[in-house]
Parts: sequence; C-alpha cells; structure tokens
Amino acid sequence: MISVKKVDNRTLNFLERIYIWEIARGIAVTSRHFFINLFNPKKIMTVQYPEEKLALPASALLRTRHRLKVRADGSPKCVACFMCQTACPAFCIKIESAEYPDNSVEKYPAVFDIDLSRCVMCGMCVEACPEDAISMDTGEIPGAAVTRSALLLTKEDLLRNLPGEPSVLGAANALANEYLRSRGEE
Amino acid sequence: MPKLTIDGKTIEVAKGTTLLEAAQQLGVYIPRYCYHPRLSVSGNCRMCLVEVEKAPKLVTACSTEAAEGMTVRTDSEKVKAARKDVLEFLLINHPLDCPICDQAGECGLQDYYMEYSLKKSRFSREDKVRRGKRRPLGPNLVLDNERCILCTRCVRFCAEVTKTSELEVMERADHSFIDLKEGKALDNGYTLNIADICPVGAWTSRDFRFKQRVWFLKKTPTVCLGCATGCQIEAHHNDNTIYRIMPRPNAETNTWLCDQGRMTYKAVQAGDRLSKGVIRNGVIDLEPALREAATRIDAAHSAAAVAVLGSPWLSVEDNAALARLAKDAIKTESFCFDLAAEQGIKDGILINKDAAPNTAGVALVKAAHGGISLGELASRLASGKIKVLVTEARAAAFLKPVLASAKPLLIVFATNRAQIPPEAYATLAYASYFETPGTFVNYQGLRRTTEPAVNAREGVKPLWTLVSKLAAYSGASLKLDSPEDALKGIDFK
Repeated sequence: MISVKKVDNRTLNFLERIYIWEIARGIAVTSRHFFINLFNPKKIMTVQYPEEKLALPASALLRTRHRLKVRADGSPKCVACFMCQTACPAFCIKIESAEYPDNSVEKYPAVFDIDLSRCVMCGMCVEACPEDAISMDTGEIPGAAVTRSALLLTKEDLLRNLPGEPSVLGAANALANEYLRSRGEE
Repeated sequence: MPKLTIDGKTIEVAKGTTLLEAAQQLGVYIPRYCYHPRLSVSGNCRMCLVEVEKAPKLVTACSTEAAEGMTVRTDSEKVKAARKDVLEFLLINHPLDCPICDQAGECGLQDYYMEYSLKKSRFSREDKVRRGKRRPLGPNLVLDNERCILCTRCVRFCAEVTKTSELEVMERADHSFIDLKEGKALDNGYTLNIADICPVGAWTSRDFRFKQRVWFLKKTPTVCLGCATGCQIEAHHNDNTIYRIMPRPNAETNTWLCDQGRMTYKAVQAGDRLSKGVIRNGVIDLEPALREAATRIDAAHSAAAVAVLGSPWLSVEDNAALARLAKDAIKTESFCFDLAAEQGIKDGILINKDAAPNTAGVALVKAAHGGISLGELASRLASGKIKVLVTEARAAAFLKPVLASAKPLLIVFATNRAQIPPEAYATLAYASYFETPGTFVNYQGLRRTTEPAVNAREGVKPLWTLVSKLAAYSGASLKLDSPEDALKGIDFK
C-alpha cells in the first residue's frame, strides 16, 4: 500500500490574487541581493566557475582527475600490467606495453590513454594498481569540452608528480629504483 | 592389476600406473609442477605429496607406483599442510614480478597459491636469492632464472622429446639454475613448447612477450595448416587479432607444436594481406576483378582452352568448388586434382615431409570428381592448347617449368601478396582458414575442421563463394550456398 498524503492548498487572499503586489515583492527580494552584492562583493555565495574555483577538501576519499606517477628519472612508475584496464568497468583505459632494452623493470606503457568521456570516476584503477602508479588526487574536476579528443588523456597528459614524490611503493618499482641507484653509482 | 583406494574411492588400475595418474582417472586432482604426462618422472617439486596408509612419510604421487590394497588420502590435514609448506618453499626466492610477468594469469604459482596456500610470506624481500633476470636464449625464448622453481621440465623436454639436450641444471642446491650447455644453441624447432610447459614465468615467448595479457585472450580450437601433420591447435585472439597459437594435446596426432606452426598466424595479419583483387600489378575491387577473370575465361572461346588445378593448401570444400567450376560451369575436361606427395613424419616428432596441409583431402576430391593427371595437364599446357589456367597461388608452382614456356593466362586465388606467382594475370583474394571454416584431411587420413577465430576484412570472402560468383559471371549456377553444398558427393569414409 502506498500511503497517500492529501494536500489542502490554502486559497489565495485578495492581495495575492491581484498578482501585481506579489510581483513587486519578488522584485524587491532580487533587487535586495543585487544591491548587497554590488556594494559588498565579499558576501557573494557563488564563485565564477570555471575561472574561479573553490579549494576542495583534502580528503583521501576524494576522486578527481587521474595522474600517472613518475620515477626519479622521469619514467612512468606504471609497468603496463593491465590491472587497471582489467578492473575498469567503463572500458576507458587503453594501454600498449613496450620493453626497456636495459632497465631491469623490463616493461613500460608505450601508450596509456584514459578516455574521460567514458570514465565514471569510480577509482577502481587506483584500487587495482599494484605499483602505486595511478592516483586520482590532482584536485581537478574534469569538466566539459568542445571536442571529444579534448577529453582523451594521453600518457603525456597524465604523467605528473605531486610535491614530496616520487614514492617507492610496489615490487617492480623496487627493481626500477635499484636500477636507477646502480646507474647513479656508475 | 592393483586395486587401491584414493580418498575413499576404489579403483583398479593397470600395473605401473602412478598414484597421480590413478587419482586423475578417479577425477581427483593432485597439484604438480614437475610432473608432465609426456615427460619422464622427476619428482623434485614435492607438490604432489599424498598420505599413504602405513607409509612412514608422505610420498610423491607422481613417482609412487600404485600397489595392491594401498589406501591413499589426498585431502588430509597432513597433506594440506605439506602443500602449504612446499609452496612457501617455492615462493621464498620467487620475485614479485607478477605485474611484469607474461605468465601471470596462467601461472602455476599464482593458481596453487590461491588454491592451497593463501599464506603471507614470512621472508623479507631483501633476503631473497637473486639470480639472473631476463636473457634471450635462442630465437624464440627469454629465460628469467629468478622466477624458475627448478622443476626441470624444460631440461627433460630437450633431453627426451627433441633429444637435443641443450639445457642443464648448473651448480647445486641454493645456487642451482637452468642454463644452456656450452656450445649449444636453443634452436631445435620445438623451443616454444618449453614456454608452454614451464609452470612459472621463467621461460616466456619472445614473439608473444608483452603483446597481450593472457586473461584477455579468447580461445578458438582449430587446426594447424603448416604441414600435412595437421596438429590440433588453439588460436588465442582478442579484438579480432590473433596473438599466439598453442597446441591442443590429443592422442592421435600431437602433444606439442613446432615453432614454425606457431608462426602460421602471422600471415593472417601480415602487411601484405590481400583484401581486393589484383590485375597484373594493379589493385582493383574484388567484383571488377572477378568480372575480368570471368571475361577472360569466356574469351578463351572453347572450354578445352581453360584448365583448373586444385591445391593442397585449400580445404576440401574449396577444392570441390573448383572441381565443380571446371565440370559444371566451364565444362572443361582439363582439370587436375592429382597432387600426390610423399607423406610421413620427417624429424620423428611432428614436422611432415609434405609441406601442404591437404594433399589427402585433394585425393578425396579427385575420387569424387575425377580429372586428369598432373603430367597430362602439363603436356596439354606445353602443347599450347590451354590458354587460361585457374588455380591457387602456391599450387601454380607445380607447373612452374611449363608456365614459363607455355605462358597461359594465369588466374590465381591468394591470401597474401607474397604468394602471387610472377606469371599471374589476375589474383583474387580469399579469406584464410583462420577466418573461415574449412575441412582438411591430414596424413593419417583424419578429418579436421578449422574454426574461424577472427573475422575476415570487409569484402574478403571464402574461396568457394568466389568460385560460385565466377561461375555466375560466366552464366552458370553451381548452387553453392554453404560449404556443405561443396562437400556433396565427397566420401570421407
């Protein structure tokens, strides 16, 4: 059984029925805000998005635009293991792997595309990554774009470190960092 | 005939059967790494430990012969604990390479860990024994000693199957590793089987390396067309691209697969793959090419001036369609399906003396439709009576010396540009047997059917449809609507 709520609308009184008075009241509310904002802009509740943006709360749960983390030598931490592509429910990740001739980590992504027009921002790719190479902590919210291609993030768009990085998590990265150290010692 | 009990179930097995094989007959799976049904028993991985009543210790199921009255338990707490501990031993020095390892997804260590262990490692990464990382060995393989669990399947494969003994376990105990013997090269023609039988990611294929993750691959059972042996294979493909060929072990023909056979998929997606018709050297659409070919056949004026030659590289359907073209549409007597070749295993393993996959199938077409002998066709060509010859590109080589002198108008069917003989006037592209079903008969007389793994490029059709169209352009209907229509009248016995 669906409960039914009976609404008993109040009948309008004379002033409301002549309509003009109510319009004037509405205009007065709008004008009041207009003049307050005009002479005291600090009180404005809204921001001029996208030119102006509010700082997002710093929370680990927040999922914003993706990035690929970078090792000390500028190479991607990603080893093209395809875990994110496998986990992605929206099929928006496309990876093509390639082989390093010398680096002991052997494998790297030659292509790493994220199609933001397909992405549902679920964060499964971050969960799946065994190398801590992808994260969604850029603080940027992907907005609208005029062309589809503008929503396609390539490897170059994605590669970026935040201050305090690179980190050393992940087994293959231990190999890569070892390789970097050995090269530094030579 | 010893009678024994495994996990409460009783079975009588032949003398000499091991506990592992007896359990397999009962449907009881015992985990194993070093055991392989086609290799000798080594008993070194200790994964198949089972409990035998009255035996003082657990025994390896792969190397213990079944005896009368044995009572075996594969699911006791003792066995479960042993499996866990053996896995822990094997994983102590195994690197955490899964993200960069091609074996991930079909790895024995991953599978058994999930099934029997699920234990956190008690050893730190720093204490792991380090061995050599990736090293290309031979033309087809990469060896990663660090991932190796020393099951010696590869060593036994080279010693027992190819009998070339290139590999050996070097050093002892903690220091041991697999290596090539001095002065040997790993190029015995069957090397990629080593990557298949390796239960971990120590041996990986150079061809398949990093191309695709195995869990994305779809598997289509089909037949190898590399030679007359006709091995049963599996094409692994994803997104309409074939990535590798694996053997489908069977009792009749093959357990293994040669390296050459594994590379046959490359022609399907090669750069020189034809999708249209070719007239001399110019590429034109298939329909105008077919019309041109039909016009040339009609322009030969008399039916006797046209000849058709079958091909052992084509399926029985396509050969039968060609025979029907000659008999019912062109109405010529000069058609030849007499292409006998010496058959038999050349190297004692798999590779056949006959490089064409369907010589026996062509013989069936000959039995059903008749035709003249190859020598007769050659002499008719040499006499200049035949003006137009219709055949498959590779089969034209059977008449090579005559073609150069007689110079008939050559109309061929081909899949790749590289197959086209220089004498060809018109070439018609057809779908390869990875894209269309086809019946083949191997050297043992076994009927094998290929299954399409990928879709043909747009406009590329099976050969029998091209033949049907060719007949239609000449004003005759062969009534070929399906491959089964072409098989009518062929007796497979």
